[in-house]
This record gives sequence, C-alpha cells and structure tokens, in this order.
Amino acid sequence: MDITYDKYSLMVDGKRLFIKSGAFHYFRTPGEKMARDRFSKMKSGGYNTVDIYFNWNYHSKAPGVYDFSGIKDVRKVLQAAKDTGLFVIARPGPFINAEVNAGGLPFWLLKAEDVIPRNRVGTAYQYSKKYMEYVAEWYDQIIPVINEFDNVILFQIENEYATDTMEEDYMRELYKMARERGIKCPIFHNDAYFAGLWADCVDIYALDLYPYINPNQNWKQDNFCFDTLDNVEDIFRSAKEDSPPFIAEMQAGWFDKWDGSGYEHIREALGDEHINIMTKTALSQGVTLFNHYMTVGGTNWDDLACDEVYTSYEFAAPIDEFGALQSNFYKAKEINYLIDSFGFTCTEPKDFDFYQENIYAKLRHDLVNDCDWLFLRNLNPDTAEIKLPSGKDVKLKSYDMKICPLNLQLKGCKIDFSDVEIFARLNNEKEEAIFFIADENANIYLSDGKIISGNQKDYVKFTFGADDKKTQFIFLTRELANKSWCLGDKMIFNADYVLPNGAVAVDKSSEIAYFDLTYKFNKKNCIVDKFNGEQKIQKLEIKKVEFCSPEIDVDYDYSDWKKVSSDTDAFSCDMYDEFVWYKTKIPDNLSEITLSARHLFAVYINGKEVLNRNSYKLEKLQEVPETISIPLNNSILSAKVNELTILVQNLGFDKGFSGDTNNPRGLVLIKTNPEIPLEFSVCEKLALERTDKYESENPYLAKITAEFDIDFNDDVFLAKYISFEDFRCRRATIFLNGVKIGRYIKRRNVQDKFYLVSEFLKPHNKLEVVVWEKERNIKSPWGFKSDLKNVIILLGTFKICQLFK
Amino acid sequence: MVVVPEFLIRRIYQKGSLKKLDNGASIVLKNVLGPGFISGFNYVKINDVLFEPKNVKFITNGQEILGTDVSEANPIAFRLGQSGTLVMSGNDCVIDGSNKIAIEAMNPEAGKVLLTAEDNI
Repeated sequence: MDITYDKYSLMVDGKRLFIKSGAFHYFRTPGEKMARDRFSKMKSGGYNTVDIYFNWNYHSKAPGVYDFSGIKDVRKVLQAAKDTGLFVIARPGPFINAEVNAGGLPFWLLKAEDVIPRNRVGTAYQYSKKYMEYVAEWYDQIIPVINEFDNVILFQIENEYATDTMEEDYMRELYKMARERGIKCPIFHNDAYFAGLWADCVDIYALDLYPYINPNQNWKQDNFCFDTLDNVEDIFRSAKEDSPPFIAEMQAGWFDKWDGSGYEHIREALGDEHINIMTKTALSQGVTLFNHYMTVGGTNWDDLACDEVYTSYEFAAPIDEFGALQSNFYKAKEINYLIDSFGFTCTEPKDFDFYQENIYAKLRHDLVNDCDWLFLRNLNPDTAEIKLPSGKDVKLKSYDMKICPLNLQLKGCKIDFSDVEIFARLNNEKEEAIFFIADENANIYLSDGKIISGNQKDYVKFTFGADDKKTQFIFLTRELANKSWCLGDKMIFNADYVLPNGAVAVDKSSEIAYFDLTYKFNKKNCIVDKFNGEQKIQKLEIKKVEFCSPEIDVDYDYSDWKKVSSDTDAFSCDMYDEFVWYKTKIPDNLSEITLSARHLFAVYINGKEVLNRNSYKLEKLQEVPETISIPLNNSILSAKVNELTILVQNLGFDKGFSGDTNNPRGLVLIKTNPEIPLEFSVCEKLALERTDKYESENPYLAKITAEFDIDFNDDVFLAKYISFEDFRCRRATIFLNGVKIGRYIKRRNVQDKFYLVSEFLKPHNKLEVVVWEKERNIKSPWGFKSDLKNVIILLGTFKICQLFK
Repeated sequence: MVVVPEFLIRRIYQKGSLKKLDNGASIVLKNVLGPGFISGFNYVKINDVLFEPKNVKFITNGQEILGTDVSEANPIAFRLGQSGTLVMSGNDCVIDGSNKIAIEAMNPEAGKVLLTAEDNI
C-alpha cells in the first residue's frame, strides 16, 4: 500500500482518503474476540481507522524478555483490524502515557543503570545512550510485527514530548530507527502544546486537542475552551505547510480519577454536543485526519493502571467499557457517514462576512464536489435565530453545530442551501439516495426554487430527475437515524448495530428494514429468543469466606523470601506488583516506627494490626508523600523479639506526563527509634495469586468465594458486571477465574460496578474477592468473617443483543 | 516538573512591556498558548523584590482583579489571544538595564506554573 500526502489529505494508492480514526487499547480490551467485536462496531459506525498504542511495559517484564503470546498477541489484534477493513495508526511509543502504569515504560527500564527515561530530567533534555539502546530493543521487537500489516498507514514516534530547550537528537533518532526497521508510511508526532513542536523532525505535523479536561469546568458556560480548535488551521499551516491537518488525539471523552466526579458525570457533562462540536469544528478547519480519543473504553485489569486512575477506563467513550454503544457514538456515526458521502478531503477556507454573538460560522469551498459547506455553531444557551448574508434564516439549537451544503450539484437536482442535515448517501453511476435527518425547523432550498421542509416522518421520500440521472431524498427521524446503518451499498434500519458481514444485532424482537438502490426497501423480522434469563439481576451466593493472609501469622515460614536491607522501595526490591509483603524481626526496646509507603499499607506486629492506612494523595497533579510514626509500647512489642509485617499496595507508577515515572513505590522509608538496621524479607503478590496455601489464623485479609454460570451463545453479545452496592468493606481486590479484574477502594467516590471482562469469562466462573479493610463500624475483626458471609454481590447484565446473520 | 516546558510559558510574557511605576511596576501578559484559567497568583518577583498576591493586581477585559481574589474556587478565564496587565505595588523594583522577572501562578490542569523572563528598561 502506497501512502502519500499533500497539504489537504492522506492518499492511499493515489486516492484521497479522509482518516476517521478511533483509539482502542488492546491491553484494556484483552483478547482477539473482544478486539473483533469492538472493531466491528467501529467500522459500522463509519470509522475507517483504528489507533493503537503498543504498550512496551505490557509485553516486557525483564530486559530482553518479550511476551507476545495469548492475549498479548498483537498480530491477532492487527489481523482483526485488517479483517474488519480498518486501517491502523501504530503508536509504539516508546512512551505512551495513556494513563497506564509508568506511561508504558517497563519497570526494569526505569531502574536500569545509565538510563534516563525519555532523555529528560524534569523538562531538561539529557541524552542517554543506554536508554536509546533499550528503545532499539523494543523497536526491534514491535516494528517487524507492525511491518507484517500493509493496512498500517501512519506511525507515531514518542508521545506529547517536549523539553525546555527542544534539542532534536532524540526525535530525529527515533525517526531514523523507525525507517531503518522498515517503516514505510508517514511518521508523525502528537504535539500536546499545539505549538508546532517537532514539525521539522517528522513527515506530518499532528497535535492533540482536549478542550475539556477539568470535570469541574462547565464547557457550555466557558465555551471559549474551543478557542484553539477554532484557529487550528492557522496552527497547522504555520507549523508545516505541506502536510495535511491531523488531530492525532481529538477529545471524544475524558478519564476519571480516584476521587473524581465519576463517569456518569463526565458523560453527562460532555453530552452528545461535545463530540459533535469537536468533530464538525475540526472539519471546518480543514482537518482531514482525526482520531477520536478514546473511541473504545477499557478496563484497568491486573496492574495496568497508573496511580491516577481506578479500574474502569470507560472514558465516556462512544463505545463504552462494556462494548455498548453510547449516544456520542451515534453522533460520531452521523458525521462519519456524512464524510463518507462527500469526501471532505480537499477544501479551502472561503471569506464569509458574518458576526453574531457566540455563533461560529465558517465557509469552505469543496474542490472535489465544487460546492461550499457552511459550518454553523451555536454556543448560546438558547436556540439561535441566525440570519445569513444570503437572507436565509437558520434556527440552531443551543450547543448544536450543523454542516450545511451550498450549491451542491446532485444527480437529479441541485441544493442551493440546506440546513436539514445530511445523514448518508448511497450512490451509483445513475442514481443516488440522500438520507436526511428530519428537522421541523429546517428546510432544503433547491436551485429551481422549490423548498422542502425538514419536518417529515420516517422514510418519506422525494424523487428528482429522470431515469438516467436520479436523486431520492429519504427522511429519517433522529431516533431512526441512530438505529440506521450504512453497510457498503445498503442501508439497514432499526438495528442496534450491524457487523461488517451483514449480521444485525437487536436487543428485542424487531422488524429490520433494508434499502439499496436496486431493490429499494425490504423487511425482515428478527425474533429474539436466546437470552435465557440473562437479563435478570442475580444475587450471588457466597460459597465460603476464608482468612487468607498467612504472611501475617507469627509462625509463617518466609525463609525463602528475597532479603533486602536499607532500601526497600519497589525499584530496590525489584518488585513491581500491586502487593508487596515485608517481614522482619524487631527488638522490644523500640519506642517508635516511622514509615512512608505508597500507596496503601498496613503494619502488623506479632500478628496484630497496629496501623492500616490509605496514603494515596494527589494534589494539583502531583503526589503528596506522607510519613507516619507509630508509637510502640510493651503491649505491642510483647515479646523479646517481635515480628514486624508490612503489606503495601502500590496503585501504580506515575504515568510520567506531569509527574515522574520514577517516583518510588512500595515501602519508601522505614526507621525506628532508637535507630537500628533492619533487614527485610520481601515477597510480592497475595498468597492466593502465588498459589501458596493461603488459609490463615489472622482475620485481616479475608477472601469471599462465589461461583456462577454464564449461558454462552455464539450469536449473543453479552456484557456482564458484578456490583458491590452496600458493600460494608473499604478495600477489596476482585479476581475472576484467577485473573485480577478490579480494585474496590472506598474513597470520596467509589467504583462499585465492575465489568466482568468477556475474555476471562467461562461457562462456569469462580469469583474471589479479597477484602483487606473492614468498615470502621465492625467492632471486632473476628466479626469480619461472619459479616462477609452476608455481603451482597450482584451479578447483572449491562448489555445483551442477539445477532442475526 | 510542570506540564508545560519553560520556553512555551515564557511566550506569554510580552517582551518590552515592563514599566516602572511609582512604588511598583507593571508588565503585560498575552495568552498565546491556549484557552485556560488562572487559579492563583502565588507571587511575582522582579529582581530581588517579592510581591505577594495582596500586592498584585491583574487588569484584563476592563476588570481589575486583586491577586488574593483569584483562587481554585474563583479562577479567572484567560482566553487564547487575551491580554492582561499585571500591576505590582508597594515597592520599587525596576532598575535601569536588565530586569529579572518571575511569576508563579496556578492553573487547574497544570498545577504550579513558573514564568521567568528578562526585560530591559
């Protein structure tokens, strides 16, 4: 595949192509089956490209050791994209951010000798030869795999990179390394500061745009957040004249953080209006390549997350964490279909003398269709009545944006102007069908003086022209448009979604309609009969409750654990798992222990808990370290030689955007009064993960086990969850069939519904929940066990659809 | 470490805008980076003279805002292309020749942002 470009667009084998991409994280949506499901939905929503970060840390746990097997097999992901008919934007970092642990840099790399991650200390540039050698090792692994796929059309080096002095060596070397390893497609970098950074080091200049990154902000009130987007064409042209405007990350949602406002709030705050405004404004600025970040939400299972984010990475994305289509998906679909209908690959700005408060109006001339497109946006809180210079009146709802054609020559008629929005077009040599979204306040003005009102019912049809050249206008209400799908030369109506192979998915018995230019309308009934009660919410029966932290028991044998002295943080111990145990002996003459640990920890002396603390605190994007002293006395230090056990839960390393990936984790500091040298024995993971014998005498960590069955059907899409509403514990770690799928931590806000990641579901399932901290109102720790027997865990269904071929 | 590299932050300062006032100084800032908010002025330092928020005033869009009135709960919008004059009072600070300027402000997304510049008078 030959990929070229000019100042307007990318060209694939000489043909102009508008790149409508959506970001997808294979590591957060694990396994080929889930990738195929999400890609199919993207494709049916009109996306033609998938943007894929390759996460170095996910594949490499030690220098020279790489795992691309099983669910980590990226070939299968790339093959799924290819089979679905999607192009790929490959983004292998080395640094990716993406709110993943350490921004995707392997833990071993962070501590390797002479390595300066990303050649940067703070914002000061510092070149590290050793770091570049390891980057070469990663590129040697990942680029040959990428090269196997000819649908890779763009390749990114680094991610949102800048230094104070902007030395170019690093970026130029990455570019050279990619080319030397056979990357043929254009190379770009995504500038987070829209300042033309690295434009000379890459082929195509690209930037990232997130106007809404503060959930406390109301973008409708502070609507100037689109200022940069409204001027982005100038930024592109001054950065690099000969490359097409490319928004490598264009906001389609936003991530929530610990103590954040929750995804429900973010989704509601963004609404459908935000993605509509973002995407249409980008088009009005001549953008011909965009990537909705994210288009597919995901799950931070295992230890994927950086410290900032919790289990769900739902992102308020068009396709949510569970694979369900959300209302912003339908809005993106509308725009994608419009782009497919008319190309928008080659447009020039045109003067348009117009001003009205909070109304954005931009006119572009389309060099391919020889027409104009007027982009109108209303950021007033009420419907605006817009009087155009042509004398036409347009009523535009608050926070809405429309793309209106002017002088658009069709096969059987010519549109002078239309503020009824075009949804899609089917087209052959002689005939075309234009689908409009019905709108009672809008009209289509034809060049022969005829005016067609937008106030129409579903499927109302107007025909123009003679037999040799014919145009049909077909109206759809927005409700039907949301359930209408353009599949090649066909439109399919009334389906929840369709697959590229023509299968339709419905969540209830439905009458599906089909339309094409040859056979016109056809209908088919789809009777849903395969759900077998899967929609019901089920209370899981707690099968057993066991105490599961033998490490705290006084007689526990830890003689084979690793020994460390003085430095006990994760790097010094070479232990990066979420849970790390520390054990040592202390004498009875100590008056105090002082310690600092990241992020949650508990201290046990002689098998009894003396402190249980959540030390995680992030303020103004920086972590706030905490040091705590525990006074000791004879009743705590009850023996001559006492056993000290510390369990530390690391919520992840810093993602390395505004903080430092090398901020320490684990037991960062420990000292005693009087000061004595301490030698610790250390071990990572919980006993049940290590498959050790895990029954214990102490009550501090307890495991709840439940089992449940799922009725799998090949022609049913199913997304299941478990819910911990009214859960009387503060912390829990959730395992599904032995795979860690979630962290429940009660803070200001709490995620209490967890996606049962499809890849890990089986017909018969074992759910294990390890509870670490009891609610304060449970007086006796021993009462903990009986309390847990009565805990309520619900099993529910997010989304279920039956597929009809 | 801050999110935005120093050389980009420095672009906000309008070179040549430093003025000597009776018992103070003024400078002009112009947002050339992107739309955002200022959620606090921690201090302004001109040469060796430190001005606390109570002695700093930001004049923009015809409004005068005292440094102590700007906070996370009461941030001020600073649009792309918007200018504002920062007036410091209470101390003579400007010298003939080269002057060192440092402004530490807060941004809800980037946290602490330090702008350093040099200007001649």
